[in-house]
Amino acid sequence: MRKLLLVKYGEIYLKGLNRPYFMRALVARVKEAVKGMGGRVWLHDARIFVSDVEDMDECIRRVTKVFGVHSVCPAVEVEKENFDEICRQADEMMRELNGTFKVDSRRSDKHYFLDSPQMNAKIGEYVLERNEDHLKVDVRKPQHVLNVEIRDHAYLYAKVIPAVGGMPVGTGGKAALLLSGGIDSPVAGYMIAKRGLELVSVHYHSFPYTSEQAKQKVLDLGAILSEYCCGMKVYVVPFTDIQMQIHEKCPDEYTTLIMRRYMMRIAERIAEKENAKALITGESVGQVASQTLDALNMTNMVVKMPVFRPLIGFDKIDIIEYAKKIGTYDTSVLPYEDCCTVFTPKHPATHPKMDKIMEGESKLDEEALISWAVENSEIVRL
Amino acid sequence: MVYLDNSATTRVCSRAAEKMMQCMREDYFNPSALYAPSLHVEKAMKACRQAILQKVHGGDARVIFTSGGTEADNLAILGGLASCRDGGRVLYSAGEHPAVREACLNVKGLEAQEIPYDREGRVRLDVLEDMLDADVRMICVMQVNNETGAVQPLEEISRLRDRKCADALLHVDGVQGFLRVPFDMRALKVDSYALSGHKIHAPKGVGALVAGSRLRLTPRMVGGGQENNLRSGTENTPGILALGEAIAAYPGNGDMRRVKCYLYEKLMELVPDARVNGPDPASDLSAPHILNISLPPVRSETMLHALEGMGIYVGIGSACSSHKQKVSHTLRTMHVEQKYAESALRFSFCPDNTREEMDTVLQAFEKNYALLSRYQRR
Repeated sequence: MRKLLLVKYGEIYLKGLNRPYFMRALVARVKEAVKGMGGRVWLHDARIFVSDVEDMDECIRRVTKVFGVHSVCPAVEVEKENFDEICRQADEMMRELNGTFKVDSRRSDKHYFLDSPQMNAKIGEYVLERNEDHLKVDVRKPQHVLNVEIRDHAYLYAKVIPAVGGMPVGTGGKAALLLSGGIDSPVAGYMIAKRGLELVSVHYHSFPYTSEQAKQKVLDLGAILSEYCCGMKVYVVPFTDIQMQIHEKCPDEYTTLIMRRYMMRIAERIAEKENAKALITGESVGQVASQTLDALNMTNMVVKMPVFRPLIGFDKIDIIEYAKKIGTYDTSVLPYEDCCTVFTPKHPATHPKMDKIMEGESKLDEEALISWAVENSEIVRL
Repeated sequence: MVYLDNSATTRVCSRAAEKMMQCMREDYFNPSALYAPSLHVEKAMKACRQAILQKVHGGDARVIFTSGGTEADNLAILGGLASCRDGGRVLYSAGEHPAVREACLNVKGLEAQEIPYDREGRVRLDVLEDMLDADVRMICVMQVNNETGAVQPLEEISRLRDRKCADALLHVDGVQGFLRVPFDMRALKVDSYALSGHKIHAPKGVGALVAGSRLRLTPRMVGGGQENNLRSGTENTPGILALGEAIAAYPGNGDMRRVKCYLYEKLMELVPDARVNGPDPASDLSAPHILNISLPPVRSETMLHALEGMGIYVGIGSACSSHKQKVSHTLRTMHVEQKYAESALRFSFCPDNTREEMDTVLQAFEKNYALLSRYQRR
């Protein structure tokens, strides 16, 4: 008998001939997640198993954060030939519980000497006889389900812990996330990473207008995201010079928009360098002046790559809920100033005119500014 | 590196650091133990008490060692007013450190009232006079304001107290004043005085409350009955002995005021619109080690980070509250206009700072100011 973790996957089920590719990726991600905890990870018979880890609770915490995992079940592995032992184990697992239960058996080993209904009946009877005072059988709506799976061994589990779902990171390619210290962008990154994309983050740093603490806050957010994404690179782009030039040379109400356009251009340049195929932003239509439909159009048109905006139709309140769920909210609300707010004009243009933007931008040496910023970026690996 | 944030904390002086090491490695005995070496430690603690009493002219007052200024203030206010049964008021000056303000606001059964500051950041005596009455139980006024360096008119406050409510206790938070501004506890008839080690080149984690005979204290921490039952817990002997050593090693203020005034005058030349927050830096009403100056239009935080980038460390407002609010309460209560409040920097000095260091600071400042003042929010 030994204790292990049975890992179930979700959407990969729907895959056809390329399912093995996704499975291999998922196993690799689970292995990365439990790295350094001792133990073994293997794939057998459409299930991933994790055994012999030093700290099972921490292992569960980490594996439930792996995209592609639907749920995990702390299970007990028993020799399947020894049916008495299976029953004894079942009794031990159910002894602590109160209320109604049923046994739900299945067997991928079709030569096993009992079929599933027979197993349900025999194990159920064994458990009930020994726990009659606090357990009752209810096959329709039981409070507890004891699962028994007959594969190479017999596996028993009574608890199913939901995980994050999604697709294994890396199976969908790579995208560059524009990461700020706010609430939205980490959530946007999470949502896209959940669909199997690897992330590289781009952060704009405006020292001395923003502090080392502000930068550290973004790296802390990146570290939270990287737990889900199995590591992440963050480019910290020196942005002060660009902001100062925009501030000095461009019309006041257009400074934010032109700044956003520069951010997109720089992000695309970094994405190309990193072989990423799309950009991700935390924009939500109508949230601020630079996120009106007109303004989004103006920022969109400076890049050729597709721009993913997973939060585009979300209310702020929903984004906050999401941020709390994934654990980034408490860090996002720390009071350090962000580069976006340093030179905010009093009345930013909500319905910008292209010719005004072009006129402003014509005063800037675009190529020199962008390549200097990209070349002088600090790369932090999380 | 030039460190000009000595009001936030100071570098531990070498004598104090050595003393601490010696106490941890050799004289590590529990002063409550019965064998001879622990007696030696107790004697050393006693010498530290004496040194403190001598510096503040405390006479036969008690010295209770604490974990720092906050605990000393809490003990004096919450512990000193715990036995007040019949209500009344506790007054605190507008620029008090949160350790004092929050303690006053948390005294059960007593109403806490704030004494306003004038434009120089000193207690308004005319208002205080009106506020004082027989129901005032305690007046809390700091010796030196931590943000502006304004020395508070303790003599006048003490006289007013004697005239209008002689029974009221007078608590002085001396964290920013101890050693750097003369203080005579007996002459001022101050009932309690709080001080902190790490502001005078001793380590963090040690401080003391000097308590006169009128202050009847109820302990805030109970247990083994150390410090005459007033502060239980094994004494922090490395900290206490290092505090004693730092007091002995303090070289006096030396050139500190001259260095400060030099920086002040040069900054005034560089920034025509500059304005000092607090009394005239050259006068005795301003502590020798603190200069709070507004340098518009560059925001404090921006200039702080720009100087930081060049290895110069200065403060904005008070380090204890700078994470809580944008414009400091002290500057607001002094009616400093927004533009000046947002651009206020606090330079705080120690006796080691030199004129040459100020030249380095001024050079860095001038360079950054020229650039940053061009790029401001509109």
